[in-house]
Amino acid sequence: MYDDVEQIRQRAEQELAAAADSGALAEWHARYLGRKGQVTTLTRRLGALPPEARPAFGQAVNALKLALQEAFERRQEEVRRAELTQRLQAEAVDVTLPGRRPDIGTLHPVTQMIREVTEVFAHLGFQTVEGPEVEDAYYAFDALNIPKEHPARDVWDTIFIQSESREIVLRPHTSPMQIRTMERSTPPVRVVVPGRCYRYEALDATHEWHFHQIEGLAVDERITMSDLKGTLAEFARQIFGRERKVRFRCDYFPFVEPGVDFAIDCMFCKGAGCRVCKGTGWIEILGAGMVHPNLLVNVGYDPARYTGFAFGMGVERLVMLRYGVQDIRAFYQGDVRFLAQFNRPAA
Amino acid sequence: MKVPVRWLQELVHTDLTPAEIAQRLTMAGLQAEHISEIGTTWDRVYVGLVERVEPHPNADRLVLATVVAGEHRLTVVTGAPNIRAGQKVALALVGARLFDGYSDKPTMFTLKPSTIRGVRSEGMVCSEKELGLSDEHEGILVLDPDAPVGVPLRDYLGESVIEFEITPNLVHAFSMVGIARELGALIDAPVEIPPLADLSGVPRDDRLVTVEAPDLCPRYVGVVIENVRVAPSPAWMQRRLSAAGVRPISNIVDITNYVMLEWGQPLHAFDYRFLHEGRIVVRRARPGECIETLDHVGRELTPDTLVIADANRAVAIAGVMGGLESEVRDDTTTILLEAANFNMLNIRRTARAQRLRTEASARFERGLDPNLVWPATQRAVALIRELNPDARVTVLADAYAAPRLPTTLAMPRTEIPRLLGVDYPDEVVLDVLRRLDFKPTIQEVEGVRSVVVEVPTYRSDISIPADLVEEVARVVGYESLPETLPWGQTVRVERDPMRRLIDGVQDILVAAGLTEIITYPMLSEEDLRALTPYATALPARYGFFARPEHDLVAARNPLRSEWTMMRPTLLPAWLKNVAENLKHTRAVAVFETARVYLPRGVDELPDERPTLCLGFAGERHPVDLYHPARPVDFFDAKGVVDVLLPRLGAVDIAVRPIAHHSLHPGRAAEITVRGKPVGILGEVHPVVAEQFGIPAGQRVALAEIDLRAVFDTGLRDVELRPVSRYQSVEQDFAIVVDEAVPAEAVAEAIRSGAGPLATDVRLFDIYRGPAIPAGTKSLAYRVTLEAPDRPLSEKELERVRSRIEGQVKRRVGGALRT
Repeated sequence: MYDDVEQIRQRAEQELAAAADSGALAEWHARYLGRKGQVTTLTRRLGALPPEARPAFGQAVNALKLALQEAFERRQEEVRRAELTQRLQAEAVDVTLPGRRPDIGTLHPVTQMIREVTEVFAHLGFQTVEGPEVEDAYYAFDALNIPKEHPARDVWDTIFIQSESREIVLRPHTSPMQIRTMERSTPPVRVVVPGRCYRYEALDATHEWHFHQIEGLAVDERITMSDLKGTLAEFARQIFGRERKVRFRCDYFPFVEPGVDFAIDCMFCKGAGCRVCKGTGWIEILGAGMVHPNLLVNVGYDPARYTGFAFGMGVERLVMLRYGVQDIRAFYQGDVRFLAQFNRPAA
Repeated sequence: MKVPVRWLQELVHTDLTPAEIAQRLTMAGLQAEHISEIGTTWDRVYVGLVERVEPHPNADRLVLATVVAGEHRLTVVTGAPNIRAGQKVALALVGARLFDGYSDKPTMFTLKPSTIRGVRSEGMVCSEKELGLSDEHEGILVLDPDAPVGVPLRDYLGESVIEFEITPNLVHAFSMVGIARELGALIDAPVEIPPLADLSGVPRDDRLVTVEAPDLCPRYVGVVIENVRVAPSPAWMQRRLSAAGVRPISNIVDITNYVMLEWGQPLHAFDYRFLHEGRIVVRRARPGECIETLDHVGRELTPDTLVIADANRAVAIAGVMGGLESEVRDDTTTILLEAANFNMLNIRRTARAQRLRTEASARFERGLDPNLVWPATQRAVALIRELNPDARVTVLADAYAAPRLPTTLAMPRTEIPRLLGVDYPDEVVLDVLRRLDFKPTIQEVEGVRSVVVEVPTYRSDISIPADLVEEVARVVGYESLPETLPWGQTVRVERDPMRRLIDGVQDILVAAGLTEIITYPMLSEEDLRALTPYATALPARYGFFARPEHDLVAARNPLRSEWTMMRPTLLPAWLKNVAENLKHTRAVAVFETARVYLPRGVDELPDERPTLCLGFAGERHPVDLYHPARPVDFFDAKGVVDVLLPRLGAVDIAVRPIAHHSLHPGRAAEITVRGKPVGILGEVHPVVAEQFGIPAGQRVALAEIDLRAVFDTGLRDVELRPVSRYQSVEQDFAIVVDEAVPAEAVAEAIRSGAGPLATDVRLFDIYRGPAIPAGTKSLAYRVTLEAPDRPLSEKELERVRSRIEGQVKRRVGGALRT
């Protein structure tokens, strides 16, 4: 009897070690530990034994049962693991195949630059406002100290709108918003104004009849030209790099006095002189100056109490400088192969 | 304005290089645009003396010239008709780089020795064209008799010319003397005024000049000069004129131009023989009066044109151009020299009306100083006497009713720090203003310590204290300004809600895979017609927008015929862009946020409405390993709208079919938010697509949305609802309805049946086929049900199922398929 127990144990252990997959394991389990399995069958022999021999034999069979169950579970775990490994190996892919990419578009570079510049000025306390593109000539010219027939009015070759008794134009610059903003508020005023502008101008690589400007205006007691210089320097360094040097030179715009041309040292040649800066080492990026007292009078501000500065920049020019775009017309031809390249935040 | 540097150095002494001069003036407001160098290529070219000219032994038209220059003595063969012994010429030695005299384009060559008709030529005497001075190639360049033989031609004739941009305020610097004054002030050097004639002894006769329109002619000086001889002007004058960009003509005309360049005061010389009664009348043109000007154009004059006339008829258009009849010609012996001042606006109008901008009108229309007339007259007379020693000034008249006097301007001393944020010592301020001829003093004015100046009459740009601040700052140098940031109260910085909405739209669409475009806001009548190919009458709408009752916003002076009006819809530009991109890109997905311009009436500014146009064309995705090629359709555009509008905070969004002339008749819809139309959505009508150059067979789906209308529906902020802790349940419903029932109506019926327990109702399949009656479809929805506070029981789910069944039956006549 006990020999049987031992034989079964030996045979079961051998066979278990040979069971290599879950099917063989299931069969083994049925053969030894199932309802009609050999171990189960051994317990039936218990009734044929004398009562005094029964406990000892029962214990032996139970021990066998427990040992085999434990061995089975161990083996089962081994086989599962081996099977899983095999399956995963079979699932190996060519990791160099392309991924499934989500489509992502890009913002127009002009939009990106407007957002970036207005954000810089927002941190300097300037609110972003916008104004009409189809504009009254009073705001586009007269209120800006450019009366009719003034020679300065020639500078803005203007597209005029059909009208009867009122002169209406496509704004040639964003400066009309200087007047509109001051008219509807009281100092302190600090705004930047992005928007489309129009000129009656033939197109070429550097001239567009349709372009974007960002205007800036600050009016308060104690606003000075040094503040203008500091503000513009901060702007230029945030957009074109901390190491930028800045240059103020005298220039003329009818709506400022004194007037300024603002330049940065050329980032392509570091000021040594190259094709981009036309050999001067400097790149002019915007016009600016102290708000002309006539403008303050035009909006009912006291020019003895308030001073202000104003500036205006061409957005396309900023983008062209930053990315080396050669032809301004590319912005409005709308070729997605061009636009899609502006697909990461500026360094 | 072109400024020859040697000329400038004669007026103000400086050792600065041309580049340094340009730089100093540029920083002070006179922008140098360009420096051109004359003579940089003249290596091995010298001033030579022609010793002897002999006939060529083998050719009638050629001569042998013996030319000396320093240690060089050469024989050159030349065909120049004007070569004479004793002339000073430009002698090029072998190896010199010259321009080809026979080429139309500037082409350079290197001079080599050559044998011409059997005689060896060892060098060349040059024409102006060969030196790159001008296009003149008729004869050789003959230098002044005092030219120093043997010196490199570059040292004698070389010149740097700085071209300045003269902004409208800089009329005082629109001359050699004016620029010399600017430079003199910057480097603190005196200006050497060139010789002026003393005219105090000349008899005056007021009958010579009658000014009938003193409002348009504040001053007129006429000088009669006899015994002049018209001839070419000397080489030095011709050279300077050429360098300054003025073509030399003859001595008298050249002198008027020379003085104009030097002083900024235009002059004119009349042949006195052709002035009836020998007198000048300055008046407005008579009705119908005509004149033939120097450019041989007959011109009809309007009564607001100011003319210079004699006793009978106009002889010049004042300040613009002289008349042909009284022009100085070769046999002129007596001239009347005019130096006058005219009203700037009148000259500007006339020059515009006649489409005739001249060197003279360009100066007059900036507003010249009437006091400039006198030194210019003196200078011209001095030059005429220099060139024509026998000339006699016989009589002059100076009609100057109201002489302009210098004005006094007081600037509070504190104005400089108030505007600049930095101050300079009194000595510096006074010194700068003295250098600019302002005669400054410091005085108390009405109890305020002030800088008081006398503004020279030629500084019409100086009228307020801020102007003086600029003068001081620009001469001291703008680089002296420190960098500071504004001081004081900050302003509340708010983002405009409409701008925030537009930024949000852009960000969502970029994330959804669309690329932003910016297109021209103007279009043509033709573009609008292309939107309505079958229309016989005016269309009811342009894109989403109803056709305005007023005329569209149109340009009076359109730049091109394709850009005549401001667009009332974004569609045409968007469609054109798509057509362009389809030429090279299979899957086009683009959007624009821009304004449309809706007229509000004549003389009114239009309503500029922020608008969105988005859509797809060609294939939906670039074909790849995972996406098969699939043409875009209605639902691609709709899907973006479905995502976009709720993310903007729009609620109660609906889409309903409409008829739209630009859209596919079976795939066109209107979008409403809270019942208000906000946009259109659909596939573009193939005929419209074709009009815009989109290839046949390419589907295009778009939406145009009025963002102001969306905004005005009242956008809702995020309203958080708690996430349920309990398991949600998904149940599928297949509902058979009549083919004509819109899917959205079925979904609506389900939602109303499920009530607030339904968190998502999603269509996942549509079945048509033998398993259901013909003319019906089966729509399969997966409904997610969830309660915030409890698990849903079987009983509850059963109730919901039967309510959904009931609603579907009642609302859309549908039956649950089991």
